Amino acid sequence: MFRIVIMLAGLLLTTTWALPASAIGANQAQVTHVVVIDKMAFGSMPAGVRAGDIVEWVNRDIFEHSATARDGSFDVGLKSGATVRMTAKRGTFAFFCKFHPTMQATLVVK
Amino acid sequence: MNKPLFAFAVSLVFAASSLVGANAAAAAPSINDAQIAHIAYTAGVIDMTAAKQALQKSHNPKVRAFAEEMARDHAAVNDQALALVKKLGVTPQDNATSQSLASSAAAEQRKLAALSGSAYDEAYAANEVAYHKAVNAALSDTLIPAAQNAELKSLLETGLKLFQSHEMHAEHLVQSLK
Repeated sequence: MFRIVIMLAGLLLTTTWALPASAIGANQAQVTHVVVIDKMAFGSMPAGVRAGDIVEWVNRDIFEHSATARDGSFDVGLKSGATVRMTAKRGTFAFFCKFHPTMQATLVVK
Repeated sequence: MNKPLFAFAVSLVFAASSLVGANAAAAAPSINDAQIAHIAYTAGVIDMTAAKQALQKSHNPKVRAFAEEMARDHAAVNDQALALVKKLGVTPQDNATSQSLASSAAAEQRKLAALSGSAYDEAYAANEVAYHKAVNAALSDTLIPAAQNAELKSLLETGLKLFQSHEMHAEHLVQSLK
């Protein structure tokens, strides 16, 4: 009985400590991934994007663009010269520029 | 494609080709960068003028959004073209292709002016498809290969991607108006 109580207490202690530690770990691991838009094209898409990471859209083009998910998950307006950040959610997102439908790419977030 | 549009497309491609001339294989093409800049700028102005007419005549939100996009994009590329010719110290030079473009566009604008409502919307959208197709052919077959300056060539290549995207958007607009 005493052994079970000790084990439970140990488990509780581990869990209590583990939660804040993992939360801090997630914050520290948050990565910013930059996607550059230039000359009517989305630049290469970042690999290894995880849910909670930041995707930074940088529009270096002379035209206004958007990064618009086909499933409606996001619709980022990007005026010429603008930088817009968004928090990535898990999924595979085909997206396009709603002004220039030839501009298409896919963002994979794990 | 209807007759005026076809004639317009043919005149654009042939006028651009004629500037290159029979000696296209020679080292220096007979169309120069000053003429190319003028043609590209004129093509942009024509589509901006068409967009302004659409914004005056159309009440369809899709048509108006498309026209606003045309006006915005072509103004951006033309501003860039003006900045480039200023930097290069080049004065855009009027030529047969620019004149052909302008006269065909004026005729098209008069035709569109006589229409209203959905007839206007459909004709404007169809003309945008035809116009962008014609300009794309001129850009890829004649103007880009002939451009000598690397920055001008790069701007024309961006312009081609822009026009291709506009062409696709115009095709979507045509479908949505049916």
